[in-house]
Amino acid sequence: MAAAPAPRADGAALRPLAWACAAFAGGVLLNCDRVPAWTAAAALLLIAWRLTTERSGARLPGTVVRALLALAVVAVVLLRFHTLNGLAAGTALLMLMAALKLLETRARRDQLVMVGAGLFLLLSACLDRQSLARVPLYTLQVWLCCSALAVVACAGFGARAALRLAGRALLLALPLAVLLFVFFPRLAGAFWAIHRAGEAQTGLSDTMSPGSIVRLVADYDPAFRVQFAGRAPPAEELYWRGPVLHDFDGHTWRRRSGVFHLRQRLQYLGTPYRYRVALEPTRQRWWFALDTPAQSPDANVLLTYDDQLLGAEPLTEPISFDALSYTRTRALEPLGAFGRQQDTALPPRANPRSLELAQTLRQRAGSDADFVQATLDYLRTGGFEYTLTPQALGADAVDDFLFNTRAGFCGHYASAFVTLMRAASVPARVVTGYLGGEWNPIGGYFLVRQSDAHAWAEVWLQGRGWTRVDPTAVIAPERLRRGVFDLLPDALATRARLLRSSAWLTGLLQRWDAANAWWSDHVVKFDYSAQLDLLGRFGVRSPDARTLGWAFVLALLGWLALIAWHIGRSARPAPPDALARAYARLCRKLGRIGPPRAPHQGPLSFAATVSAHRPDLRHSVHALLARYAQLRYGPAAPGTRTQDIAEFRRAVARLSLPRALSGPQ
Amino acid sequence: MRVRARVHDSMRVRARVHDWMRRRQGPDVLPVTLERRRLYILPTGAGVAFGLLLFLMLLAGLNYGNSLALFLTFLLAAFALVAMQQCHRNLLGIAVIAASAPAVFARTTGAVHLTLANPARLARAQVEAAMAQRAAVGADLPAHERRRLELPLPALTRGIVRIERLRLATAHPFGLFRAWTWVHTPIEMMIYPRPHGALPMPAHSGHKSGARPRGGSDADEWLGLRPFRDGDSPRQVDWKAYAREAPLLVKEYRPAGAELHLFDFAQLTDPDTEARLSQLARWVIEAEAHGERYGVALPGVLLPPDRGPEHRHRCLAALAVFGTDDGARHGGGAGASR
Repeated sequence: MAAAPAPRADGAALRPLAWACAAFAGGVLLNCDRVPAWTAAAALLLIAWRLTTERSGARLPGTVVRALLALAVVAVVLLRFHTLNGLAAGTALLMLMAALKLLETRARRDQLVMVGAGLFLLLSACLDRQSLARVPLYTLQVWLCCSALAVVACAGFGARAALRLAGRALLLALPLAVLLFVFFPRLAGAFWAIHRAGEAQTGLSDTMSPGSIVRLVADYDPAFRVQFAGRAPPAEELYWRGPVLHDFDGHTWRRRSGVFHLRQRLQYLGTPYRYRVALEPTRQRWWFALDTPAQSPDANVLLTYDDQLLGAEPLTEPISFDALSYTRTRALEPLGAFGRQQDTALPPRANPRSLELAQTLRQRAGSDADFVQATLDYLRTGGFEYTLTPQALGADAVDDFLFNTRAGFCGHYASAFVTLMRAASVPARVVTGYLGGEWNPIGGYFLVRQSDAHAWAEVWLQGRGWTRVDPTAVIAPERLRRGVFDLLPDALATRARLLRSSAWLTGLLQRWDAANAWWSDHVVKFDYSAQLDLLGRFGVRSPDARTLGWAFVLALLGWLALIAWHIGRSARPAPPDALARAYARLCRKLGRIGPPRAPHQGPLSFAATVSAHRPDLRHSVHALLARYAQLRYGPAAPGTRTQDIAEFRRAVARLSLPRALSGPQ
Repeated sequence: MRVRARVHDSMRVRARVHDWMRRRQGPDVLPVTLERRRLYILPTGAGVAFGLLLFLMLLAGLNYGNSLALFLTFLLAAFALVAMQQCHRNLLGIAVIAASAPAVFARTTGAVHLTLANPARLARAQVEAAMAQRAAVGADLPAHERRRLELPLPALTRGIVRIERLRLATAHPFGLFRAWTWVHTPIEMMIYPRPHGALPMPAHSGHKSGARPRGGSDADEWLGLRPFRDGDSPRQVDWKAYAREAPLLVKEYRPAGAELHLFDFAQLTDPDTEARLSQLARWVIEAEAHGERYGVALPGVLLPPDRGPEHRHRCLAALAVFGTDDGARHGGGAGASR
């Protein structure tokens, strides 16, 4: 392993190293967007450097240099991530260490290490993202790594041969992999704690400032999918509740953490909606549900006092849950003192003109409900505009919006409306979430995208409790029935605009999304309970871990038997052809009148043996055996070969061998 | 001392394993087809490392409850099983047709010639053959084809080198597993003494065989009858005797003008036996090359004058085994064993 000058290598000698490097580079590329850019760049540069070094036969650095570099790498990763544990830090460390390994890659074993690093980086990418779109990339990487194994094992393989060999083996392996996947018993929990620090959160956050929702609108990614068990609510009722915000500082709305009230008793009115939500991982704790969920769907999820579902852990994997919601409720208890205080609080001295306006409107109205209506009328008739590109607001954001710019997005209207309510001492809160969803006829579900993000208000009305009021609906009533893109085509990013440009593309997109939903439901979320469900569908009564184990063993044995049969068949000698059969028959016949043909004897040698034994048959036997030798080993006579063989067969059949009159001396 | 004891132990274990395999398989008579029961397979170092990698991947996949990682792990595990089957299959059904080692001179490199056949329609790749403790020679075997492998074997000193068994192995296709088998077929390589020495060939010898001129039809000297051997011209066969139901016999003549030599060990004066044998070997080669008749006399062994490749081999073989255990066993030195 010392730094010896490498011999100049080219062609076949370079091939194993090149393939090992390719497998590693594939792993690096799969992870390049989740490790710091310099890490991936360093790894790729080292790969390129190593390959040129191999071509030119330059020296590799010595042991001391390598040891120092390795220490430096550990230090740098520690500085950057403050840990070596965790997926992102581990991936970066693995990438750099394997890249350093390139500095000494000389033996076959070192090249195998590179291929192993490629596989580990692939695993890391799988752990991070499981979307259907990445599956082709992962497949290519597996294929590349397995081909690299073949080339490292035998440098003689060309690219095409190695790829074919590995592809074939992987295809043969696929059925077993599926069986193992279905039947291998899963764990209910985890062996060790999982570090997910440093992963970006997506979707709605627990704050809302003017413009924060606008940023989401550009995001065309799915947030969740919903499948209703029975009738779906009308489009204008599809309010998906997310973080409910109570605290306002004049500019930004926040959710107060650490507040736990008992939930009020509610009377549920109207149709109950049963549905299943499949959430994409957001690294946040919100679980989105239709308007007012009636109960918590999961033991780890809290149904808060403001009707929001709050998970115990951030969502790092896609999950599904069943829920039951109502869109109309009535409070059975009065609002408590703390709730009233919290939801009527406003920052002192902020937005004075708005406060004045609210007071005026309230004095004119007979009741809180009338006041709500008056405020909505004010917004409707005040010349307000629905836009995605509002102007920046000043220090008194609500004043600036209501009396100055008069153009905004849902967040502006919700914020202003709740401020006006609170200014007149009507308890009100901002609800963020999503509105609507795109019906996917292929999958039979509603797809809610990040771009469907919305904000609305809830006010406390005497005798009714918390009541949803959407001020945006009076400015842009169409928003309730159609997506934001139909109202504001400019909102679309170029990609999304392209995708929506034709019905055909939209249909394709829906198909793709349905495939994604299927993938997420049946593959990504395939866990222990799904395994038991499957066994139950096969007719196993009360399946448990043991039946799962038995099914696993049976599947494995069945596959092994199948492969053994398949392989035994192909390795078996080919069946003898017509000529060989005729020859065997001739030898059997001759064996009956004399010594049988020894395994090493060729036809002419056997002819000599038979002649020595039965000189009377010498001529006929020799002629036949010589004919066989000529047919088998002589130059081919292409036109007449089939006839010649048939003739030989008939000659063998005709041959009669009389017993010798006198025994041989 | 402990190291030596451990080496000793491992050698003893290896020898016992070999004994067991030999008992299990029995002696092999060529041609041998490699069947399931005689193929052994174990993971290579790379295979063990791959297994370890899979175990780590499984732990990670289970811990994270990540379906894709688990599927990747299972796919690779199944891939390894397929690789195992393919490795086993790469050797299964191959026929060892012949194994022999042509005689060579000392201080050259001989070779064991091994003929392998692939009777199936499945192409075999990277089949390696080796003698115990020697480097392997690899070959690809396309469907329905034969290949002859030459395993180099240095010939150091004269005598007979015996090969007890040959190892056929393959790590194809991914190097994760190695399948192998032992073929227990005894192979003998005769190593002639190194032809060396500057002494002139003895011109004439007193040993005249009891031959008489048989007639004036040609000037050749009638030497007698000997059994038919492959390669003899049919014109030399004594067909009359054959018609009397005698075995096939060949009439032998001595070409006119050819000299008759007897190379006698005792007449050489060099005190070194090996040097004397080298000189005799050289004379034998020269005499054969000149088409002359020659015989060899060694203490206790007399090969009467004759010529031809068979005779040359007999003479050189007698020189090769002279004074060794094999020489004692060969007795009269008529060792025609090849």
